Amino acid sequence: MSAREAILARVRKAAGGAEGREAAVAARLAGNGPHAPRPAQARSEGAARLELFEAKARAADATVARIATVADLPAALAAELRARNLPATVRTGADPLFVGLDWGAVERTEGVGRLEEPATLSRAEFGLAETGTLALASGPMNPVTLTFLGETHFVALPTADVMAGFEDFWAAWRARGLDPRTLNFVTGPSRSADIGQTLQLGAHGPVALHIFLIG
Amino acid sequence: MTAHQPTSRQFKKNVTAALANENLQRAMRSTQSGFVGKRAKARDALPEFDSLRDAARDLKNHTLAHLDLYLERYETEVKASGGHVHWAETAGDARRIVLDICRAAGAKTVNKGKTMISEEIGLNAHLEENGVRAVETDLGEYIIQLRGEAPSHIIAPAVHVTVPEVDALFRKTHAHLPADRDLSELPTMLAEARAVLRQKYFEADVGVTGANMLIAETGQSVIVTNEGNGDLSQSLPRVHIVLASIEKIVPTLEDAATVLRVLARSATGQEMSVYTTFSRGPRRAEDPDGPEEYHVVLLDNGRTGMLGTEFQDMLRCIRCGACMNHCPVYQAVGGHAYGWVYPGPMGAVLTPSLIGVEEGGQLPNASTFCGRCESVCPMRIPLPKMMRHWREREFEKHLAPAASRYGLRFWGFFAARPALYRRATGLAARALAALGRGRGRFAALPLAGGWTRSRDFPTPAPKTFMQQWKER
Ligand code: SF4
Repeated sequence: MSAREAILARVRKAAGGAEGREAAVAARLAGNGPHAPRPAQARSEGAARLELFEAKARAADATVARIATVADLPAALAAELRARNLPATVRTGADPLFVGLDWGAVERTEGVGRLEEPATLSRAEFGLAETGTLALASGPMNPVTLTFLGETHFVALPTADVMAGFEDFWAAWRARGLDPRTLNFVTGPSRSADIGQTLQLGAHGPVALHIFLIG
Repeated sequence: MTAHQPTSRQFKKNVTAALANENLQRAMRSTQSGFVGKRAKARDALPEFDSLRDAARDLKNHTLAHLDLYLERYETEVKASGGHVHWAETAGDARRIVLDICRAAGAKTVNKGKTMISEEIGLNAHLEENGVRAVETDLGEYIIQLRGEAPSHIIAPAVHVTVPEVDALFRKTHAHLPADRDLSELPTMLAEARAVLRQKYFEADVGVTGANMLIAETGQSVIVTNEGNGDLSQSLPRVHIVLASIEKIVPTLEDAATVLRVLARSATGQEMSVYTTFSRGPRRAEDPDGPEEYHVVLLDNGRTGMLGTEFQDMLRCIRCGACMNHCPVYQAVGGHAYGWVYPGPMGAVLTPSLIGVEEGGQLPNASTFCGRCESVCPMRIPLPKMMRHWREREFEKHLAPAASRYGLRFWGFFAARPALYRRATGLAARALAALGRGRGRFAALPLAGGWTRSRDFPTPAPKTFMQQWKER
């Protein structure tokens, strides 16, 4: 007997021969299982939702700026790079949101993350207001290595894509029909408390996370 | 490096050594309050927290009752995404599978994200013996790997290491850097480790990560980290291997969210950890980065033997670490005293289940039955009850050391004679209550030195439970 068969046989034996197991599993997989309670903080609407998103992202040590339209992004990014003493360059993927813009003084290069990457820019598919979390989909539009190799990671997020919480997020995610290799939830910049039990930002991932909320 | 052989058998000896280890005691004191306060704050900030714990418990019970069906669906999905699933009955099988994948990939270096399963199967030593270099990338795991140690906490593996020890370790290990560099600030130390490890991500041929969950509906594996090392370990090398035990399955994306809502809050008090990554298969044809191969090793290693027994509930565990953070015994002796991979209350139940009561049967004695572990467990696992089950089994097998056997027999003598028992315990309770009055606890008690050296013994109520019960 293969290891697979041996393991499954032991699980089946423990499960017993109860009727209706297949039906119970199929129902749950079809989304008809019991629903866990939906926290109040995952039910925000309208302007309050955007405020909650911002507050939660800040609580997780991200910084957030609101800009009116995507056309304002290059200037806003240039100002941020200057304020942070970073060179006027940024690495991005091929997201249509970035490709059509006039980047002016900022030198934008396209491609995957490299060993030294002072500033990277990605577009998040969605935001989750309940925890100030970004949801990014990997692929040519937004290579996953940009999310982890940038010393400072900039993320653009249209306000229309800010969801209240996991419930409406999963529904919207399924509706968009994406199938990336990774779905990356990001809540603040990377951190570690492994030296001296003291929390420090910037472990292996970005030292800083800045979100441009567009619209 | 050598494999870490279990030393759980000599638990008593380990405890004595741990209590005498001043460095360890200093490190443990500095963490004690952190985790507990942060979890309490996170719980208080979410009114639905306890009902989410119920939902998490129920969803895991449902999954365990139909684990065969969910595993089959999960496997189908992984295959459909172009990934490979390998089934491993034992630790040895899992080690062999990983080594075979590394050999087929011609791998010289393997980068590791944090995985407890890797510790459980002793992967690093096996790879090294076979000429493959394994590099731990979680900062805490990196530190203990350099020290040649096992983790002492499931989410904070180097919690027992002090700052001066890290300083000395980095100076010794990173010998290519100027010897007179200033490492006095914590950020400098972190930056140094970051720079050294950053290079290694680009050199590795294979990346190994664990999995906090496996999703049956979609065939995704999920990792939850704060550092980002698990993501670099899976995105840069050509091959990604996921090590996961079979009970990590949850049915759907929505179920995964329920677990996420209780996991980080219970572990570190965060609402969400920094990185939660859902991975499905290898990179797509159009993808510019990500691994070209994706393998999942599904490990049993004794878990199917727990199904249908009084220990099945333990398989709900999501490895948050809350039980050890709140355990007076763990806080006094640290994780290494438990002698194997899983410390604290969850380890006291899991270790005898996975490596046998002969090896791990001492651990359930490391409980004061204060019940704090169960009261904070997000999955509502009845840890004290299961520790009691192990004690009974151990006693039946006459594996208990003589002292506790006599102790229990002594108790058994009185327990079988209720009148005598009530008189004896009533007397002892009154005496202790009189002695401890006004203080609330004893810092030292005759015949209980092993207990009171590291924690205070609470003053008992002047009346026994039986007396109070009768008076109601
Ligand atoms: S037993 Fe409960 S508290 Fe302990 S690690 Fe597992 S889930 Fe967390």
